[in-house]
Amino acid sequence: MMIHALELELHQRPEVLERILRVARHRGFKIIKMNMRSTSDVDATMELEVDSERTVDLLSNQLTKLVDVTQCRVLSSTQTAQTASL
Amino acid sequence: MEQGQTMRGADAVIKVLAAHGTTTVFGYPGGAIMPIYDALYGSEVDHLLSRHEQGAAFAALGYARASGKTGVCFATSGPGATNLVTSLADALLDSIPVVAITGQVASAVVGTDAFQEIDVLGMSLAVTKHSFMVRSIDELVPTLYKAFEVAASGRPGPVLVDIPKDIQLAEMQYQTPLQALETPVVETISNLEQAKQLIRASKAPILYVGGGVGMAGAVEQLRDFAKQTGMPSVATLKGLGAMDKENPLYLGLLGMHGSKAGNLAVQASDLLLVVGARFDDRVTGRLDSFASKAKVVHLDIDAAELGKLRAPDVAITEDLREVLPALSMTLDIEPWKAEVAALKAEHEFNYNHPGSLVFAPRMLRTLADKLPEDSVVSCDVGQHQMWVAQHMWFRRPEDHLSSSGLGTMGFGLPSGIGAQVARPDAKVVVVSGDGSIMMNIQELTTIKRRKLPVKILLLDNQKLGMVKQWQHLFFEERFSETDLSDNPDFVTLASAFDIPGKQISTAEEVEPALDEMLNSEGPYFLHVAIDDAFNVWPLVPPGASNSDMIETLEKE
Repeated sequence: MMIHALELELHQRPEVLERILRVARHRGFKIIKMNMRSTSDVDATMELEVDSERTVDLLSNQLTKLVDVTQCRVLSSTQTAQTASL
Repeated sequence: MEQGQTMRGADAVIKVLAAHGTTTVFGYPGGAIMPIYDALYGSEVDHLLSRHEQGAAFAALGYARASGKTGVCFATSGPGATNLVTSLADALLDSIPVVAITGQVASAVVGTDAFQEIDVLGMSLAVTKHSFMVRSIDELVPTLYKAFEVAASGRPGPVLVDIPKDIQLAEMQYQTPLQALETPVVETISNLEQAKQLIRASKAPILYVGGGVGMAGAVEQLRDFAKQTGMPSVATLKGLGAMDKENPLYLGLLGMHGSKAGNLAVQASDLLLVVGARFDDRVTGRLDSFASKAKVVHLDIDAAELGKLRAPDVAITEDLREVLPALSMTLDIEPWKAEVAALKAEHEFNYNHPGSLVFAPRMLRTLADKLPEDSVVSCDVGQHQMWVAQHMWFRRPEDHLSSSGLGTMGFGLPSGIGAQVARPDAKVVVVSGDGSIMMNIQELTTIKRRKLPVKILLLDNQKLGMVKQWQHLFFEERFSETDLSDNPDFVTLASAFDIPGKQISTAEEVEPALDEMLNSEGPYFLHVAIDDAFNVWPLVPPGASNSDMIETLEKE
């Protein structure tokens, strides 16, 4: 398994968090760490760590397509020592 | 448009639709959308009442697919909105631009489990490209403009706008939002030289044509490219109609029920030029054996499709109308062209079927040859859908409507209604099966209501044919729940909706019956009884490589 760290910039909409969580789950990524904060009335940022056997592009490309995600960067990808228990 | 005019939010909704060139909306009224229906009354925007919200939304899809415009549908809160889900999912998988507008309970009672309240925004997340809940009257018009923009831009798709009733009733001053200027012309195409090098070096290239070509308005550019390069081609279900059928090296549908020549040519190719397609599993069969010797040049506007299933050697996301001419060149691939031509000749479909029964493939081929220049075929889902894809031919992608990605039974009839509304002069033929037609049979009333001249060709084998075919092949003939011999008398049913028709069951009746149907003034229902022993061939079994097509396995 690989752990990927991503950083997102978002429009601050009431449902934006649900959209991101749904895409991550549906595309096969387990969220292991998450931090979101509003940077203004209309914007927010989010740091996300996900665990998956799938290539991170599958997630980042789909997150980039979300209308309320203005930027999505993959910061790092690291191999985990053990297989994560699901 | 008059700026600063005072009106209700509901009136503004209708004004925005008119400003976007929406001529007809499909929908069904109810409590939470009553102000919008009040604003519609006597307005410049036409509305066609469906008899189920799923039918309304499919009509909007058909309108969009047949015309290239954005389709619009209305539904009320709660059950009205939940009934849209299947159609929106269909539009998402087939990239169809649709704006769905739903009424919602008043803002003050949202979140209280009010009558006919459901969290429509939450429900919409998995089945739309984007969705909005309007939270103030000031947001209303900009949100609707944004909805139209998102639905039609980039890779198109469905957008839902949920509008609480108090916002529909609130007074406002109408202002047209400032809009972005038109998309700038493409100045440089990324990776163009690398793509040209691969094309130039190829000895056995294939064009793999998808639905993106038609949606990009790049049909002419594709046909010119195929002509100049001489590259053989295959098409996906949504790509049918993009290639010119007269092109001698066009091999038709590829994939699970594709032509054997098409699949074998793809498997033998050394370069796949993928144009607006996405390596769907029904196309590729076993993915790791799909065109395994081929390099891949992938052209698609959606960057998320590049490398999703097959890593491209070169990928380009710019406008196909610019990219295809820029990639075009003359190629020296004569031995490959001869090989493909020989494959095509060897595996032509055989329409000579002995016996007196109706042979559906031949009937559909005859129908295609009889259709006039301006015609649309709207399909349902199942065996008849695959026969249409294999045996009919289309002048343009917008002449063939099929639920490709989602495979939704019940798509054909309402989608055909939407196509007829969008193209009133076109000959619209719904080709359906006895399973599918019953999924949205209530829409016969919509045909009656508007006196639409939609022709319905029903292929009835009294079975859920495609599932039965798989039970026959892969489940030891255990025919679980696929017998439909208790179907209604369809011609009598149609006559209850003032739709004339007839039933036929023999091959010799086919031509005169098709002529009668096509020459009838108004709607017509042709019920064709076929033998349930006919299956769809050839077939790539699930999990197999496209090299291993079964041509027939009949004890028939």
